[in-house]
Amino acid sequence: MLNVTPNSVGSVAPPAGVVGVGFSPTADDSRVISGTVGDIKAADPRMTARNVDVYYGDKQAIKDVSLDIGKNEVIAMIGPSGCGKSTFLRCLNRMNDTIDGCRVEGRIMLDDQDIYDRKMDVVPLRAQVGMVFQKPNPFPKSIYDNVAYGPRIHGLTDNKQELDEIVEQSLIKAGLWDEVKDRLDSSGTGLSGGQQQRLCIARTIAVAPEVILMDEPCSALDPIATARVEELIDELREQYTIAIVTHSMQQAARVSQRTAYFHLGELVEVGKTDDIFTNPSHRLTEDYITGRFG
Amino acid sequence: MTDGHIVSSYNQDLNHLHQLVIEIKDLACRQVRDAVTSIVEEEVERAREVILGDRAIDALDIRADEEIIRLIAKRQPVARDLREIMTVAKMVGDLERIGDQARRLARLTLRFYDNDASPPNRQLLNDLVKMADFVTTMVEDAVTAFDTLDLDLALDVVRRDGVVGDDFRSALRRLSTFIMEDSRSVGHMLDVVLGLRSVERIGGHAKNIGRYVVFLVRGKDVRHEPLESVEAEISSRH
Repeated sequence: MLNVTPNSVGSVAPPAGVVGVGFSPTADDSRVISGTVGDIKAADPRMTARNVDVYYGDKQAIKDVSLDIGKNEVIAMIGPSGCGKSTFLRCLNRMNDTIDGCRVEGRIMLDDQDIYDRKMDVVPLRAQVGMVFQKPNPFPKSIYDNVAYGPRIHGLTDNKQELDEIVEQSLIKAGLWDEVKDRLDSSGTGLSGGQQQRLCIARTIAVAPEVILMDEPCSALDPIATARVEELIDELREQYTIAIVTHSMQQAARVSQRTAYFHLGELVEVGKTDDIFTNPSHRLTEDYITGRFG
Repeated sequence: MTDGHIVSSYNQDLNHLHQLVIEIKDLACRQVRDAVTSIVEEEVERAREVILGDRAIDALDIRADEEIIRLIAKRQPVARDLREIMTVAKMVGDLERIGDQARRLARLTLRFYDNDASPPNRQLLNDLVKMADFVTTMVEDAVTAFDTLDLDLALDVVRRDGVVGDDFRSALRRLSTFIMEDSRSVGHMLDVVLGLRSVERIGGHAKNIGRYVVFLVRGKDVRHEPLESVEAEISSRH
């Protein structure tokens, strides 16, 4: 049965836009958004966002979004450009703090700590909730130093031997070790695009995060490198919680267990990826994933 | 009718596939009607045309499969587009089998009337003719339900399959009384039973199509659900 979770407290109206009978393409009110369709809750939540609003100056970029990020799951966030998916992702490790005029309201918890609490130190937060960006951005340092950078500044090791072990394990987990083990002193920027992205993932893993945020991690990669990163995401899921923003609906379908569809700053629908891509509940979700809109 | 895709050629591809289904249905229903007419009117030549005409349905079946494979490979359909394509793939299989049943019915004409064959008692054929008309309408309505996404019509077709089952059993009972009265007509009766079986199967294929329409519109697979579950699914969210 359709599970409807109104985002606003006290709102009980069934959401307009739930696909009823047939799918006549005629204009009607079926594209109205009133609350999120689907279950915003995860079975075992690692992060919980509730009633999150984000403003850039006077402009509201995110409207009343509530969503759980479940443990050991990959959740994909999809939607047309400007829908707020990246903005929401960046709220999850307070990357928006670096943007002037950006204001975040609502509550975002990592386990039982409020990440927007005044006492929260964002440096360890960003180690706990790591981020991989659209364009591979290795430091202009050696492969070894790229991975060792995080553990060093966070003081995660006491000696060289432990650091070597972290670097090796991180590169193994990122699926890059076999390709670079004989040239750890070479520059990270000398690797191919796909290797650089996996190096960035290794760098993120090296500080033992709980959650990894990925903002279009494959959009600058060729299909083979993309496949490697997707395979890696699937492997990393066993140990980490992953939230990924992607413009590729096929990628969302391939890598995620849950999918969230954003539209004009609102979370329209969230559900199991298998359901979203075979039988979405909201007309807007269907329009978007079938290429009728966007 | 599919529209609204940003890539308009995708609309054209899907609509073309949709029209192909209608075309196969028209051909299959015509074949069934012609086969029954050939029996009633004792037209051996018409029966031969039906038997040969089945090749045209087979060719359309293959063409539909080719288009489906190409669509999946090129467009990676999802959601309603994916359901439409899967529905068409299954419908085409059922329609092709309806064509096969029409060919079997046409063969009865050859057995009854070709060369020096002995014609059957006309009374034996009454049920066959009536049921054939009934199931052909079911096929047409099932495909109309697909064309117009009419769940009520789809449900009606599914229900009518129960009537076909009852009629089939009644017809068998009547035939068995004929056998008891006149055992010399046993050969004809066996042929008529096979004909009735073909007609009953056509009703089954129409019912299958009705159930595919529920999947197409609702995304729920009710192929092997009891009638009550299909009714419950259709009445939900109305």
